[in-house]
Amino acid sequence: MIKRKQKDRDEDIPMAPMIDCVFLLLIFFMVSAIMRIPPPFSVNLPDSATKHEFPRKKYNVFISQDGRLSVDDQEMLTLEDLDLFLAANENKISTLIIKADRRAEHGVVIDVMERAKQRFSKPEGQEIALAVSEET
Amino acid sequence: MQQVASSVKKQTLLSTRLRERKAPTLSMAPMIDCVFLLLIFFMVSTTFSPMPGIRVQLPPPGKPNTEKPKGLIVRIANPSDGQREGVMVLNDEVVEIEQMFSRFINANEEQKNMLIIQSERRVLHEQIVQIMDRAKQAGIDKIGFAVVARE
Repeated sequence: MIKRKQKDRDEDIPMAPMIDCVFLLLIFFMVSAIMRIPPPFSVNLPDSATKHEFPRKKYNVFISQDGRLSVDDQEMLTLEDLDLFLAANENKISTLIIKADRRAEHGVVIDVMERAKQRFSKPEGQEIALAVSEET
Repeated sequence: MQQVASSVKKQTLLSTRLRERKAPTLSMAPMIDCVFLLLIFFMVSTTFSPMPGIRVQLPPPGKPNTEKPKGLIVRIANPSDGQREGVMVLNDEVVEIEQMFSRFINANEEQKNMLIIQSERRVLHEQIVQIMDRAKQAGIDKIGFAVVARE
């Protein structure tokens, strides 16, 4: 009786290696997880059949329906604020992704592009992307 | 009353005795549960898919275009009240968005070099994206923007 009990215990699945594996996976996913930082307002991206691919990164410019601006979750009250922000983070932004609501006014989008163009002094010109909706 | 008290005493006695007998081991199961939950959360929230967008290549700063641009010019008026789309004019002709693609495709090579979108400020972003989409599909890569200046 006692012998069998001991044998049962020996045949238990060893937990330690599994936990090691799970921890490794956990760390991998934690590191690779890109936190989606939501803007302070809702944004409906426009549809388009043309889709170029861009990596997901920080520092996206959001433009709401009523013309409010934000960089990630930080709201920019004026275009000058955005200008300062772009100036401060110029080196960290390789492609500026503009996520404008489908009902946003084109004039505001142009204003933002204009600021970005002035701010980024790369000789080949700055690359800008207008984000479109992910649904096909 | 006394009976209840005695039974409680017995129970506590029993439990303390049990506790003493048990070997002090770390219970792994709840920790593994937690870790698995975290793992699943991160797996689900991770997105490997790239973000779709339309590439816009801006010209280098400080060089306004002085030469007369060659290419197609689409002019868009402010949408009238309650309307979502403004009237589009391509080569002095009013064009609907559905006809845009065939117009772009049938344009001659010199015109296909560039598309200039002249729009008023209140035109909706969606309409511009739609025109850009049609243009890119028709093989026009250079798109320029011109807007009426801010009041």
